[in-house]
Amino acid sequence: MGPLSFSSVLLMIAALQGPGTRLTYRIRVIEPAAVTPRILASGAVSGPLDSDMRLTLRTDTAEVEALFQVTAFGDTVTVAGEFLTRRLVGQSRRGLPLWEEDTYRRLVRMTWSDTARIYPFGTSLAPAVARRAPWVELILERHFAGGEARAGEQFELRDSTRDLSIEAVVRPRRARIILNLVRGDTVSGPRPMDLVLEEPARVVQLVLKGRPTTLVVSLTRPDPARSARARALALDADIVCLRVSQPAVLQPLGTICGRLNNIARQLPLPTGDTLAATFAWPGPR
Amino acid sequence: MADTTHEQWLAQIDAELDGELSLVERAALAKHLATCGHCAGARASHLEVRVALARSAGNPHAFVLTRPAIRAGTLALWLVVALAAGLVGGWFASHRWGGPGGGGTLEDTRGTIVVQ
Repeated sequence: MGPLSFSSVLLMIAALQGPGTRLTYRIRVIEPAAVTPRILASGAVSGPLDSDMRLTLRTDTAEVEALFQVTAFGDTVTVAGEFLTRRLVGQSRRGLPLWEEDTYRRLVRMTWSDTARIYPFGTSLAPAVARRAPWVELILERHFAGGEARAGEQFELRDSTRDLSIEAVVRPRRARIILNLVRGDTVSGPRPMDLVLEEPARVVQLVLKGRPTTLVVSLTRPDPARSARARALALDADIVCLRVSQPAVLQPLGTICGRLNNIARQLPLPTGDTLAATFAWPGPR
Repeated sequence: MADTTHEQWLAQIDAELDGELSLVERAALAKHLATCGHCAGARASHLEVRVALARSAGNPHAFVLTRPAIRAGTLALWLVVALAAGLVGGWFASHRWGGPGGGGTLEDTRGTIVVQ
């Protein structure tokens, strides 16, 4: 390995592991106009360096959903866009709309100061359509923000007749789990835990009516999504699964999967109790 | 054929020249031609046209003009050819332009990212 490639690898590792390095996707949705282009919406999505951005544009006849991912390498950055497009192509014999779906990927390499222009409806449009087809300007920024690892979104829709949205897509590295044992109308005291994904299982003891119950819990990612749309747009990015088993028993009691949205999910235990697990984003460190 | 009109006599002349009249009809026509100079002239004119047509067809001594005959086999063959051509053309047109979602190529309608 030469000195140049070695320094590049060091830069990449530093960029990926740098303390508090945040990535910001800054976008503007622009529509061509007779005099000067009109800004329909603007916003920003920020988060850790592995944050993705989900962009959705809908019109009466087309729907474009895209997931943008960034791979930083020194001063350059590779932007990958996973597109899922639906186009209205006509009507069935019974008068129902017919849509065609298309999934494809676009990849472009740019420097951090560059502006990428995304044409969600393509560039080879008929003149009448091209006059109305918006494009998206994307600027990527990175900066240091000590310790702030949560994702942030900011979006301003200036033309409310348009259906546009952006979302931050962040895959959690850890999650805050609150466990309760429930039997009838009795609930044990909440047992909050910060669990890291794919780490070794932990033993937890819950006490209900003076009777302790020992469980072994671990946090895993769910199986890959079944639908192509969910996989392409990473719709299951914030889903985690809690694997629950008894000590010294290989066969798990069950697995509870859910989004980090503070909703309690239940798992019946052989003892007759019910384990309630609430998943949430971890607090700032 | 006492009440036969002039137009009908002309049709009878055509039929007589084609050899399609019965003896009774031919006798009635001959009797009319003897008294009607106009019809006699028309018959002579028809005959001259037929002689010219027979000559141009290379058969100046023909008794009657042969009509172009369409044979059943030829007709069936052309029907089959036309049907096959229609099917192939329809399949090709449907494949090329048919169905909803026509227009430009798929790549034309796909999104692109351009670095400025």
